[in-house]
Amino acid sequence: MSARHDIFSALRRLRPQSHSEAAIAAQARDLARAMQDCLPPLEFSDLVENFIARVTAEKVGASVERAADWSNLPEAVARYAETHGLAKEAALQPDSRLLALDWSEIRAAPLTSDTMMAVGAARGGIAETGSLLFHSGPEAPTLYGFMPLHHIVALEARAIVARFEDYAAQEQGQPQPRNVNFITGASGTTDIEGVLARGAHGPRRLHIVMIG
Amino acid sequence: MTTALGTFKDRARKALGDKTLKTALDRTTGNARVKRAAAVAAWPDFDRARAAAAAIKDHALAHFPHYLEQFERNALASGAKIHWARDAKEACAAVIDICRQAKAKTATRSKSMLGEEIGLPDALAEAGIRRVETDLAEHIIQLAGETPSHIIWPAAHRTREDVSKLFQQHHRDHLLLTEVEAMVASARHELRDDFFGAEVGISGANFLVAETGAICTITNEGNAELTTTPPRVHIVTAGIEKIVATTEHALQLTRLLVRSATGADLTQYTTFHCGPKRAGDRDGPEEFHIVLVDHGRTQMLEEMPDMLRCVRCGACLNHCVVYRKIGGHAYGGAYPGPMGAALTPIFDGLEPSRDLPHACTLNGMCKQVCPVDIPLPTLLRDWRAKSFRQGFESPALRRGLALWALVASKPRLYRAALALALPLLRRRGKDGWIAALPFTPGWTQSRDFPTPAKKTFLAQIESGEQA
Repeated sequence: MSARHDIFSALRRLRPQSHSEAAIAAQARDLARAMQDCLPPLEFSDLVENFIARVTAEKVGASVERAADWSNLPEAVARYAETHGLAKEAALQPDSRLLALDWSEIRAAPLTSDTMMAVGAARGGIAETGSLLFHSGPEAPTLYGFMPLHHIVALEARAIVARFEDYAAQEQGQPQPRNVNFITGASGTTDIEGVLARGAHGPRRLHIVMIG
Repeated sequence: MTTALGTFKDRARKALGDKTLKTALDRTTGNARVKRAAAVAAWPDFDRARAAAAAIKDHALAHFPHYLEQFERNALASGAKIHWARDAKEACAAVIDICRQAKAKTATRSKSMLGEEIGLPDALAEAGIRRVETDLAEHIIQLAGETPSHIIWPAAHRTREDVSKLFQQHHRDHLLLTEVEAMVASARHELRDDFFGAEVGISGANFLVAETGAICTITNEGNAELTTTPPRVHIVTAGIEKIVATTEHALQLTRLLVRSATGADLTQYTTFHCGPKRAGDRDGPEEFHIVLVDHGRTQMLEEMPDMLRCVRCGACLNHCVVYRKIGGHAYGGAYPGPMGAALTPIFDGLEPSRDLPHACTLNGMCKQVCPVDIPLPTLLRDWRAKSFRQGFESPALRRGLALWALVASKPRLYRAALALALPLLRRRGKDGWIAALPFTPGWTQSRDFPTPAKKTFLAQIESGEQA
């Protein structure tokens, strides 16, 4: 008999299905709700304020600047490059909001394994942890968040939700993207003696330009 | 259990005498305990959340075949290929077969304890496929030719000085580095080309999400995404117990898992992977395979279902007084510490691994810090009882326990024996401690026994003394 057959027969013998699918789904919802009653508290009731506090906290270690609108992004990138002594050259995530901007100050370069700087646009953010959200697709290749040494990400303030549960509710019934990435700070590792060091394989620095 | 390096007792004795190991373990587990405590202190309802997390895992296990079937259906619809494996051998064979069809010379790998459990590193070597470990700790132990000694920090037994020497010897630039930051940068440089040159990338999974058919990986370095995205083929190896009902459940469990493991609110990279590259995608694997492995899970569902809740956070290792003294290698299996002592008898059989459940003081710390409330001390006691019932314990131990049971179940005899023993023991005591016990010299070989009080507890109560 096949491995699949053997595994399922053992599981069905030990856990015969005793409820309807609807009843099981209802139980699952109740359990998620029970967890929602005992979540870690948010420091600030304002979502943007909480997001910024979490993502700039020492253990996450990203930096944030505010911008009035998308048109301010290229100058923010140019300023970042100057501050960090980088060439004014960046791989631009092919997000239509981002490509519509005037990038005359920054030379666009392809994304390669030694890209110094990439500019991205997040789909949303989670205030609870200061996490950026990306759904992979033609406008958001996954590797933009992982290959550069410096990752600069534009995030619209209004796209921030409070909790993971809010994200899950938003996505209910929507098709699942190939990759959903929650990015919380720059790459880091504690693999040597439990000491945190940055830039393990992904970006060493994460800078967020909060729009709106 | 007995391995090429002798019995558990031999390895534990050797580990106890290793000063560098003690330094490395103190640094890593000490850091982990402090960070976890701070994260838990910032979550007033953590205990209730623990119960809620346990209930979420129990729910998935209560409807195990339903959710696993739902996962399979959704994963297939996303374009993933599913492979089922009853045991370690079948699981490795499935992975090797996919690698061969992909004509893979090099496979990058992102840390997966299941991979260690099924012996995937050896299977890849036998098949002549070059394996590149991309997690920093796995990279360190690959250079050292070792196996992981911790499920979160596989190189927990190595000090920064050890790592410095290994990198100087093996990395292409042969630099002598003293700072951790510089060592991390050196590994980044060393592994860069392999991320983009490998034909196959192999990862594990922290969750299998039934409602979407996606698998979830959580990492801090970003190596998982660099392992799974550029190669033409992505292979996931996962134990079937990783199943959860929904994305929401997976994220809710991650909250507790990460705090318990590293004390962070969330890992830097929490990623759901669903199927291969789609139309219009500029990156992503062309083939996406998921190898679903039983290897004892169905047996555990019958014999110790609580253990299937385990989310592999490693908190029980960091808080275990035994693990902290002997490290992971002494245990001899893929999983060390309390969770390893509970799991290894399932994978390797109780007789060869019966010493592991005994290497426990039953102080209960592991249960207390477990984010899904697994009663580890009870599970370990159950293994001990089973080992005794099945006759695996030595005749001397069996006779000793039989004698103890005879005396302890007859109160008068017990008190009489104690009255005889007390003055004898007190005579051996010096400054409140006994350096060598009669009949059980092993117990006092590396520790002392406290000198007992003049009178027994009962005698003190009967004479109205304050204890």
